[in-house]
Amino acid sequence: MGKNGIIKFWIQRVNRWVCYGGMLLIIPLMLLTSADVIGRVAWARPFPGIVELSSYMLDVFILLGLAYTQQVKGHVRVSMLTSRLPQRAQIFLEIVVTILSLFIMALLAWQGLVVGMAETAVSDMLRIPQRPFKLLVGIAGFLLCLELVVDLAAACSAVRRNA
Amino acid sequence: MDPILSGIIGTLLVFFLLSLSMPIAFSMMLVGFIGISFLTSFDAALPVLARTVYETSAHYPYTVIPLFVVMGGFAGSSGMTRQLYAAFDKWLRILPGGLGIATIAACAGFAGVSGSSVATAAAMGTVAIPEMNRYHYSPKLSAGTVAAGGTLGFLIPPSIGFVVYGMLTEQSIGKLLIAGIAPGLLLALAFIIIIVSWVKINPEAAPSRPGSVSWRDRFAALLPVWETLTLFLVVMGGIYFGFFTPTEAGGVGATVLFLVAFLKRKLNWQTFKASLLESVSISVMVLFLVAGANVFSTFLALSTIPIQVSTWVVSLEVSRYMILAIVILIYLFLGCFLDAISMMVLTMPVIFPVIINLGFHPIWFGVIAVLMMEAGLLTPPMGLNVFTVAGVAKDVPLESIYRGILPFLISIFLVVLIIIVFPKTATFLPNMMLR
Repeated sequence: MGKNGIIKFWIQRVNRWVCYGGMLLIIPLMLLTSADVIGRVAWARPFPGIVELSSYMLDVFILLGLAYTQQVKGHVRVSMLTSRLPQRAQIFLEIVVTILSLFIMALLAWQGLVVGMAETAVSDMLRIPQRPFKLLVGIAGFLLCLELVVDLAAACSAVRRNA
Repeated sequence: MDPILSGIIGTLLVFFLLSLSMPIAFSMMLVGFIGISFLTSFDAALPVLARTVYETSAHYPYTVIPLFVVMGGFAGSSGMTRQLYAAFDKWLRILPGGLGIATIAACAGFAGVSGSSVATAAAMGTVAIPEMNRYHYSPKLSAGTVAAGGTLGFLIPPSIGFVVYGMLTEQSIGKLLIAGIAPGLLLALAFIIIIVSWVKINPEAAPSRPGSVSWRDRFAALLPVWETLTLFLVVMGGIYFGFFTPTEAGGVGATVLFLVAFLKRKLNWQTFKASLLESVSISVMVLFLVAGANVFSTFLALSTIPIQVSTWVVSLEVSRYMILAIVILIYLFLGCFLDAISMMVLTMPVIFPVIINLGFHPIWFGVIAVLMMEAGLLTPPMGLNVFTVAGVAKDVPLESIYRGILPFLISIFLVVLIIIVFPKTATFLPNMMLR
């Protein structure tokens, strides 16, 4: 495995494990929601702060899965027209599209950190600070950019192979 | 530049980027960002992206999406698909095309615990297609039945389609889900009528019938159907009677199915991981599309296009049903190229204000829109359910599957027509809800 191969291996591995970490939150999310419903319906005792906790868990669940979804090409796209083009044109368009995606996601990563650092609010009931959850937008954007760099490198090496 | 002109250019740019195969969510974010920068300022546009992504990914009502998806995953892991099919097969196999009818009934049953139509088609395809092949059913009939049956997952609640429609249009997700029940059952009935008529006209399509089953076996096979039905009634009944919200229903449903799969010892690390990963990737895909649509909608709102279009359409001296027919044709056309959720996020910012200004019921239109998205899952050349079934029935050419789907597709349009002529088909249940 060359140097590029090792970098790709580690980027994809880290993003996969980050996603595994986030996806497990669905279990406490569903158990807490059920506990809240049972407590409220049976004993009129809802779980305090459940909405805030669930929102934060959703935030982590989604944002930590962002880069992995790109890794498995889960972000929906229409390839009907490009798939009919010659291979060389397909690779060229792939490079253009990946650079455009990289541009907008780099902006998301940068602004995620800026907006996150400026955040000082806490949640209404449990007084949990919002800052780490907003900062996660920047981190998720950064991890997604790494995944897009892997895609860009793959497209560039396809150009070299075809040359 | 005139804001309206910039809005039109932005919309065309999104479609241009889509044709270059750029992910739809990224295209809408990029064009939305450029458009907001252009119409306000670069500094004002910068934080919009990060704020929108945070507000979408941490919005409590959206927790319903991963919960509905994981419900379907746990239901599949617990063996519910196979049990439902076995039960309906025992009861319905004596009818002409009985295995096909059992497939539709099992799809409707599985749709009652799963939010994804592709998951329904994939799960049912692996069970039903080999069985129909064994009894020499026409490949067109068997593949068409599974692909069409799978679309019921998009209409019968829990349904991701209604959740996304509710998010984009700020309508009650609970009412939308309840509104899907009657049209979903009507569509399942229409599919069954198609199968029976098909076999009556062409008995060669389902030449042999499996042998009869004793009454004891029939009743014994009903147990898993009761499991599914009870879960559906608890989850949807809870929403209907106001005991809990759709999000809470998703939490309760997912917990019950998790416990069922765990207690039946059907949940190993591999199936558990697959269910969770499916939930992550679908939820991220959907919520990122919604975030992209929100950024793009901010730009469109600044361009004043939605309000201008709806004012212009209302001022036209044509019947509002003519406009509705045009909207339906637009969905039919877009359905040939786009997947259901993308179609919804791309069109709703402009089409929904038009529909409301024309005086149509928002929940009723939600059902029409979801039905048209369902048709889009079947229309060539990009019918997602068709590709799913083609992956299971590898020896059936894609053309045959599309030919097999045609009668089912026509029945979807007939159901749309019924709902237009009799709007109460969709609205009577949500209108009776307690809250």
